[in-house]
Amino acid sequence: MAFNNKKDKDQISKQPYTMATLLVQLVMTIMAILFIIPIVIVINYSFKTKKELYLSNPLSLPQSFNLENYKKAFDKLNMVTTFTNTFLYTLLSVVILAVLCGTTAWAIARCKHKIFKFFYVYFIIGILIPYQALFLPIYIIGFKLHLTNTRFGIIFMYIATAISFGVFLMTSFMSTVPINLEEAARIDGCSIIRTYFSIVLPMLKPAMATLIIMQAFQIWNDYLLASLFVSKKQLKTLTVAIQSLFSAQSSDYSTAMAAIIISVLPIALLFISLQKYFIKGMTVGAVKG
Amino acid sequence: MSKQNKTNYNKNMFRQYLLLVLPGFIIFTIGLIIPMFMAIRYSFTSWNGMTQDKPFVGLQNYISLMRDSEFIDAWWFTLRFTFFNTIIQNVLALLFAVALDRGIKAQKLYRTAFFIPCLISSVIVGFVWLRMFSNVLPAINDLFGTHINFLLFGDGSTVLSGLLIANNWQWMGYWMLIYLAGLQSIPAELYEAAKVDGAGAIRCFSNITLPMLAPAITICVVGITTGSLKVYDLLVSSTKGGPGRASTSIIFKTYSTAISGRKYGYGSAMSVTLVLVLLIVALVQVKGLKNKEVQA
Amino acid sequence: MKKKKIFSLLLVATMTSSMLSACSSNSPNTTDDSTVETTETSESTEVTTKSPDELVTLTVLAGQSSTDAGIEDMIDVALAEKYPNIKLNWECVDWGNDFQPKMQQYMQSGLPDIMIGKAQDIRTYAPQGILGEIDSTYTSRVLDAANQSAAYNDNVYGVVFNALYQGVYYNKDMFKENNWTIPKTLDELQVIIDDCNAKGIVPFASHMVDTWSIGNVTMQFAMNDVFNKEPTWGDKFRANEVSFSTSKEYQQAYQYNKLIFDNTFPDTFSTEQTDCDAKMVLGEAAMKVSGSWSIQNFLDINEDFDFGIFPFPNQTGDSKLIFEPNLTIMTSAASKNQDAINCVLDLLTGDKDLATEIYDYTRTASMLKDVTPTFINPSQEDIDKYASDGMIVDVTIGNNQLTWGGFQEENAKDIAAWLQGDITFEEALKCSDDRVAASIVN
Repeated sequence: MAFNNKKDKDQISKQPYTMATLLVQLVMTIMAILFIIPIVIVINYSFKTKKELYLSNPLSLPQSFNLENYKKAFDKLNMVTTFTNTFLYTLLSVVILAVLCGTTAWAIARCKHKIFKFFYVYFIIGILIPYQALFLPIYIIGFKLHLTNTRFGIIFMYIATAISFGVFLMTSFMSTVPINLEEAARIDGCSIIRTYFSIVLPMLKPAMATLIIMQAFQIWNDYLLASLFVSKKQLKTLTVAIQSLFSAQSSDYSTAMAAIIISVLPIALLFISLQKYFIKGMTVGAVKG
Repeated sequence: MSKQNKTNYNKNMFRQYLLLVLPGFIIFTIGLIIPMFMAIRYSFTSWNGMTQDKPFVGLQNYISLMRDSEFIDAWWFTLRFTFFNTIIQNVLALLFAVALDRGIKAQKLYRTAFFIPCLISSVIVGFVWLRMFSNVLPAINDLFGTHINFLLFGDGSTVLSGLLIANNWQWMGYWMLIYLAGLQSIPAELYEAAKVDGAGAIRCFSNITLPMLAPAITICVVGITTGSLKVYDLLVSSTKGGPGRASTSIIFKTYSTAISGRKYGYGSAMSVTLVLVLLIVALVQVKGLKNKEVQA
Repeated sequence: MKKKKIFSLLLVATMTSSMLSACSSNSPNTTDDSTVETTETSESTEVTTKSPDELVTLTVLAGQSSTDAGIEDMIDVALAEKYPNIKLNWECVDWGNDFQPKMQQYMQSGLPDIMIGKAQDIRTYAPQGILGEIDSTYTSRVLDAANQSAAYNDNVYGVVFNALYQGVYYNKDMFKENNWTIPKTLDELQVIIDDCNAKGIVPFASHMVDTWSIGNVTMQFAMNDVFNKEPTWGDKFRANEVSFSTSKEYQQAYQYNKLIFDNTFPDTFSTEQTDCDAKMVLGEAAMKVSGSWSIQNFLDINEDFDFGIFPFPNQTGDSKLIFEPNLTIMTSAASKNQDAINCVLDLLTGDKDLATEIYDYTRTASMLKDVTPTFINPSQEDIDKYASDGMIVDVTIGNNQLTWGGFQEENAKDIAAWLQGDITFEEALKCSDDRVAASIVN
């Protein structure tokens, strides 16, 4: 059950710290360092001047701690705008997704009518459709509905491409939501929709957290849809803006490195500070307790 | 309640349920299903993606695909990438999760270290590893006077391993967290009971840990497989499908055929094959893994 | 019960309608958001460049390489001064990766008012009848040679703004120290290569990790070995009169790649352009087959780096320096804002300060009459020499006959695979031959 998670396993059984544990700790330390190296390298690069980047050893430290690249990255990326855009798209998409997936999954799980079986399969098939391969028809549809180069359009597309996974996740979580409360509410004369919002929704919080966090990554980091739907300067997202710094012919690496740090830093800080909720949220729904 | 009343009541409920599903249904249909059918329709044409008319050519595109060695090579690369990715990533993620669950100190710190890469966009990951392989790691050779071949993206025979390293670096931590949560939800009493029965560590792992992790394994395996089959972003900023065509994935091939190559109809046929394969793979996996879950 | 039903209906209705309304209120950012109706355009035959009285917003799709990024701000500033009522709504994308996809999208929906691409794009889009003709007021300010490369069926569909020169960039100091002279024939080039190898200098800097660079140099070779003898080779290729498998000349062009591959960094397939250029500046390599886009890199790394340019020698010893029209301004045939577009064309072709600023920034050559960039380009001397001898050839001839996307680009991948030993030379040639249908648009 999902709710057992509250008692962390560490508290249940304190494992003794043996030689074997020490060995594991050692190996993991090495692995962790290996994992961090590329990030350290990027940080190191981000302080180097363009000349140093080409002329000095990649492993050497920058001559001075200059923030020139960061300033340049900030300007070149149109940072305030792109950041706000990315944040806005991500936030609105995941919130709407959570609401829609919750209602859809609940209806599918509770209504025994045949057509809902069909709905389930219909949504699930979406997981297997690579929207990456359908960009032109997606664009054509988007254009006909006046969705291209609008904030609403990109959010619409993020929802459309992520909803099948959300429904899948939520539906599998529904089995852990006790049905008796709902039945009681219904006997009291609550409508289906009111039952959902007053009784079911609060119980779906763990699964919703999972969904929101998983999708927030995807959307925050998305490149393809964003480059397809919002290419106007004032609507661009961070990833698309950064990608333009890597393009062929004289890539501006030192600025790009600083831009990477700028784009990752907020979400990394968010993760580190909210790690506990993050991990719980990310996994509760996925593992079904 | 009379019978009449009851059917009315059911009908009413049914309508309300339907209302709940409808908004999602509409968005999903417009955003993904209709484009899917449009792609299927285009796959029977020789449309170049630009003109107004879309000449119908029947199955011609699919017949040509069978004989297109570049298309087959792209599939071969995608399948190898997926196969190795699924195995390596799952095993590593599980191993790391088990290791972190051994009660080592500062578990949080390690979790963060492994997880941070997946906060970075794939486009950026590709770029970072391109620099790693071509500049940074060779500098280590210079430093220690070793001769390890780090130029993995520079040769058709090693480019796959280079991409696997980059992809595993990015996603391993993500799946590890899911396994970790799975591990931590296994009741300790089970292990204690097993210990009383005299079971060793390996038996504990195969008899308790693995079966209890079944739902997490399903999610991870399906997630990694389908994700790897769709690999594209990673390639855009690293190998660009090269050297030659050695790392051209099926989506990359579709993109370059339909757009730069101006063969939209033909490219659509390629994407239709990808959808079919994804469908089959996922069905087989979910069925197989679900059976295991039931047995457990 | 009834109330609840209504409530639920309302809920869903608001949910959906809020989305729809958001859609309609946000949408008109596309091509047709003209804020002014222009009526008198077609009446007079001579085009007057007059500033609109009301605010007009033009959409611009700019296919750039990163050396060009930033010119949009310069244009905005100049425009605000001269035509304050015109605003440009920029959409800047990478020319190599994203320009064609974006155009493809817009052809489904309606083109932006102005598109900035390369001269070779005209061959792709003009036959579709979607590009507007450029008035002679503006084309007359552009060099005739440049207008030719922007023409289709004798009409000019683009203003060619600047140009790149392609050939072999060489380290002047190194050539002086070793007493090498500019090679005219392959034998003379071979002498330099041998001397380099004997002295432990890498003859050629190259970055084959970028497949586009392989495609680019192959076209350079083909211009001097194939198209100079057979100016319509591409058309004959489609007419089945010539082929890669039988053309000794084109095979030679492919083989030069091998010559470079055998005489370059061992890790060329892992070397990116910036690193490659840095090595060249540091004197690790003597020559680089490249284009003007390298100049920015060279001078960024060392502003005193002294380099020149010569055309890659061909078999007949008469090879010419390659000239590539670069930024080309195209307009939409269907735009309602022709007057405003003309104002922008007037600015771009008429404002010499702006033009000079852009040339200096991008380190490119001017295609406007009477405008010369002021930045110091060490290779300018060589370019002028070849220009005065008439030893310059426009690569658009080749690019128009054998299109880049889907053909040259794919051939380059085959060449890379061949150099890597994955396929044989004959297979690479056959692949190019099999691709004949993709060699031209339409």
